[in-house]
Amino acid sequence: MTNVSSVADPSAGPVSTGPAVRVGGNPFRFISRLRLGDIIAIAPFIIFALLFLLIPTLGLVVGAFQDGSGNFTLQNIIDLGTPQILASFWISIRVSAASAILGAGIGLVIALAIIRGRLPQAIRSTVMTFSGVASNFAGIPLAFAFLATLGRLGLVTVLLKFVGFDLYKSGFNLLSFWGLTITYLYFQIPLMILIIAPAIDGLKKEWGEAAATLGATNGQFWRYIGLPVLWPNLLGTLSLLFANAFGAIATAYALTGSSLNIVPILLYAQIRGDVLHNPGLGAALALGMIVITAFANIIYLVIRTRAERWLK
Amino acid sequence: MKSGKLWSWIIFGLGAGYFLLPLLATFEFSLRIRREGYTFDAYASVFSDGRFQASFSYSLIVGVCAIIVGLLIVVPAAYYVRLRAPHLRPIIEFITLLPLIIPAIILVFGYIRMYNTSSPLPLLGTNLGTDILLTLAYVALALPYMYRAVDTGLRTIDVQTLTEAANILGANQATIIAQVIFPNIIVAVLSGAFLTLAIVIGEFTIASLLNRQVFGVYMQNVGANRAFEPAALAVISFVITWGAMGMIQLLARFAPKTARRD
Amino acid sequence: MIFKNALVASVSVAALAASTFSVSAQTDLAALYEAAKTEGQLTTIALPHDWCGYGAVIEGFKAKYPGITINELNPDAGSADEIEAIKANKGNTGPQAPDVIDVGLSFGPSAKAEGLIQPYKVSTWDSIPDSAKDAEGYWYGDYYGVLSFLVNTDLVSKVPTSWADLKAADYANAVALAGDPRAANQAIQGVYGAGLSTGATDAKAAAEAGLAYFAELNKAGNFVPVIGKAASTAQGTTPIVVAWDYNALAWRDGFAGNPKAEVVVPSDSVVAGVYIQAISAFAPHPNAAKLWMEYLYSDEGQLGWLAGYCHPIRFNDLAAKGSIPQALLGKLPPAEAYAKAVFPSLDEQAAAKEVITGQWDATVGANVQ
Repeated sequence: MTNVSSVADPSAGPVSTGPAVRVGGNPFRFISRLRLGDIIAIAPFIIFALLFLLIPTLGLVVGAFQDGSGNFTLQNIIDLGTPQILASFWISIRVSAASAILGAGIGLVIALAIIRGRLPQAIRSTVMTFSGVASNFAGIPLAFAFLATLGRLGLVTVLLKFVGFDLYKSGFNLLSFWGLTITYLYFQIPLMILIIAPAIDGLKKEWGEAAATLGATNGQFWRYIGLPVLWPNLLGTLSLLFANAFGAIATAYALTGSSLNIVPILLYAQIRGDVLHNPGLGAALALGMIVITAFANIIYLVIRTRAERWLK
Repeated sequence: MKSGKLWSWIIFGLGAGYFLLPLLATFEFSLRIRREGYTFDAYASVFSDGRFQASFSYSLIVGVCAIIVGLLIVVPAAYYVRLRAPHLRPIIEFITLLPLIIPAIILVFGYIRMYNTSSPLPLLGTNLGTDILLTLAYVALALPYMYRAVDTGLRTIDVQTLTEAANILGANQATIIAQVIFPNIIVAVLSGAFLTLAIVIGEFTIASLLNRQVFGVYMQNVGANRAFEPAALAVISFVITWGAMGMIQLLARFAPKTARRD
Repeated sequence: MIFKNALVASVSVAALAASTFSVSAQTDLAALYEAAKTEGQLTTIALPHDWCGYGAVIEGFKAKYPGITINELNPDAGSADEIEAIKANKGNTGPQAPDVIDVGLSFGPSAKAEGLIQPYKVSTWDSIPDSAKDAEGYWYGDYYGVLSFLVNTDLVSKVPTSWADLKAADYANAVALAGDPRAANQAIQGVYGAGLSTGATDAKAAAEAGLAYFAELNKAGNFVPVIGKAASTAQGTTPIVVAWDYNALAWRDGFAGNPKAEVVVPSDSVVAGVYIQAISAFAPHPNAAKLWMEYLYSDEGQLGWLAGYCHPIRFNDLAAKGSIPQALLGKLPPAEAYAKAVFPSLDEQAAAKEVITGQWDATVGANVQ
C-alpha cells in the first residue's frame, strides 16, 4: 500500500497521509560517495529546510526557555498556567479533536459510500474534485460562507425562523464550540475523503469475495480485514486533521476578530500587541502548540509502527 | 444488499447538503446588498475597489514567484533522491511534510524573530526583503504539495534510463534536469503549481503578521468593514479555487499514462 | 474636563499666533517636503479608512505631496498594538516599523516616559489647546468624539438609550465592544464609560465598576465576545456595538440603508475620548513623519477629519476663522451630547487603563462556550 497519493491522478487527492518514516539502512552511508553534482542538486533543498523550517521553529523552542536578556528560565513555561491560557489550550484541543474525529468519521463514511457503495462513477469523480476544492476553501472566505449560512441573518437561520424555529434563541451560536466545529468540518471532511480514498481503493475486491466465500459477514470483513488495513491511514489522517484545525487562525479570526480565546489566535494577538503583557510568553505559547502537534504525530507514529508489525 | 446502495445514496445526499448549502447561502447573501431586492452590486463594488486589484495581483505575483522558487528547490532534490539516494527518501519526505505539522503561525513567528534587522540576515529590514521572506514562507507552505507533485511526475518516467541516455549524449547534470527531466514532468509540475496557487491566493496568517497587503488580508479587512461584499468575495475565491482545481483535473488527462509503478 | 474650557475659550490669540508663524512655516515646509521625498515613504499603523475619514485624509496627503508612498500597517491594531509595534521595531528601519502613531490620550505620556516617541511641534502648534498636548511637543491631541451605541434596528426593535438598558433580556447575545479591551483604547473607554454610568466617580472605582458591568453582561449572555465592526453589526453578529460616535456614524453611512441603523449616545454617561498623534522615536522616515503631522494639523487635514464626523483638535480655531464649510457643520453629531460629555483627565485615564487591560481576562474573560 503506497502512502503517496498522486496529484496528477484524478482519482487520488493532492494530499498524502501523515509522515512516512521508515528509515531503511544507514542514511549516512551516502556521504562517502557524494559527488559535486549531487551536492548542488540537494543543497538548495537542505538549506531551505534549515533556514525556513527547522531553525525558526527551534529558535522558538529555545526562546521559550529564555528571559528578556537571554538567560535560561522556566518562568515562561510556568506562566502558561494562568486560567485564561489553559482555557485557550483546552478549547483549542477540544475543537481540533472534535473536528478531526468527526471529520475523519464522516469523511470515511462518505468515501466508503462513493467508492464501495456502487454509486455511479460520475458521482465519485465529482466528489473527489469537489473535495480538492473544499479542502482548500478554508480561511477567511470559509468564515464568510458560514456567516452567510448560520450567522444571525444567514440563509439557514432565516429559513428556520420562517418555519418557526429560532436558532439563536435556542442557544446556538456560530462562535461556540459547535459553531466552530461545524465550520472546520467543511475543510476537514474533504481532506479525509482525499486521503482515505486511495487506501480504500487498496482494499482489494478479492479480499471481500474471499472473506464472503469463507462465510464471513460484512461486519466480520470490516472487523478483521477492512479496518485493520485502513487503521494506520485513519490514525495518520486523524493526526493531520488535528494539526490542521489546531493551527487554523484565519477562519476563527474572520469570524470574531482577535478576541476569541483559542491558542493560535491568542498567539496571533500576542505577536501583534503583547496582550499578555509578557513578551516571553509568546515563545512559550508557540512551544505549547509545537508540543501538542508533535505529540499527536508521535502517537500516530507509534501506533502506526505497531500496526505495521501486525500487518506483516 | 439493496439497502446498502440506498444507504450510499442517503449518505451522499446528506454530504451534498452540508457542502452545497453554505455555497448557496453565500451566493444568496452576496445578492442582498440592496433592500429592494437581489442585485449584483456587491460584486461591482468589489471589482471596482482598487485595493482588490492591487492585493489580488500582488498575491498572484508572490504565488508565481513561490512556484518558481519551489520548483528550483524541489525538482533537483527529488530527482537526486530518486536517482541516487532512495535511502534518503524517508528523511526528505518527512521534511516536506513538516509544514503540515508546524502551524503557519509558528513558522511566521519564528521568521519574525529570526530575520529582524538585528539578525545576520535582516530580511525584514526592507520592503523587498519582506516580499522575499513572504515568498519563501509560501514555498514552505507549498512544499508538501510541490514535492509530492514532482515526485509523482518522476515516478511516471524512467529517470534512470533518461539520465543515462542524456549522459551518453554528453549532457551535464543541470542540462539533464532542465532539458530532459523537467519537460517530461511538466504536467505533474503544473498540478503542483495550481495547488500552490490555490493555497497562496487566500493565505492570511503569514502575510498579515509580515504586514503584506495580500488578497487574504484584503478579504479580512473587507470582512470587518462591509456587510455583503465579504459574501461576494467568498464566492469569487471559491470560483478561483475551483478554477485552480479544474486546471489540475484537466492536466491529469494529459499526464503520461505509462506509469512505472515502484 | 480638560476640554470644556478649551472648547469655549477664545481662540483669537491662537489664530493670530498661527498667522504670524505661517510665513516661516511655508519655507520650512518646502524644505521638509524635499527631505521627506528623499526618504520616499511614510509608515503608518492602525488607520482604518472609515475611521475619522482617514481614507480621504491619506488620499489628500498623497495628492498634496506626491513622491511619498504610504505604507499602511495593520489597520485593525489597537493603541497598545501600536506602542508594541514601536517597541518591537527598535533598531529596525524596515517597513515593519511605524513612523507615526495615533493612539488614545493615555498612551501618550506613557510612551513618552518609555522613550518611544520624539518631540515635534507643527506650525499650527499654538492653536492646539494646551490641555491636549505635551508642553515639550512629544504628543499632541488630534481629534475627539463621544462614545455611542450603533444599533442595527432591523434586528433590535427597542433601541437602548442607556448603559443600564443594555442589561435587559431584550439584548441577549447582542452587545459588543469595538475592540479588544486588552489593547484597544476604544474598548477600554467603553468599559470605563459603563463604569461611570454606575455612578462611580473615582477613576479606579469606575474602571472596576466597568469590568463588573461587563462581567454581568457576559453572564447574562448579552455580551458578544466579538470585535464589533460595521460588518458584524450589519450581519447581525453584533447588533449593538459600543463605539466612538464618529465610527458609528461612518459605519451607518456605509450601510446605505441596508440594514437600517441608529446611533445613540447613552443618557447615563457620556465619555469623550481624545486621541493623540506622535512620531516614533525610532521613525525610519522622520521627515516624512513631520510632513504628515504638518498635513494633519493644517486646515485641510483638520477638515478631513471633520468630514469623518470627528471633532478635530483645532475645531474652535477653525470655527473662529470661519473656515468650516456649513455643509460639514450640518452633518456633525448633535451638540447636546457634547455638552454633557466627560473628558477623563490623563491621570484618570492612566488609572483606568491599567485596571481594565490588566484585569479584563480575569474578571470578564469571555470565552467560547
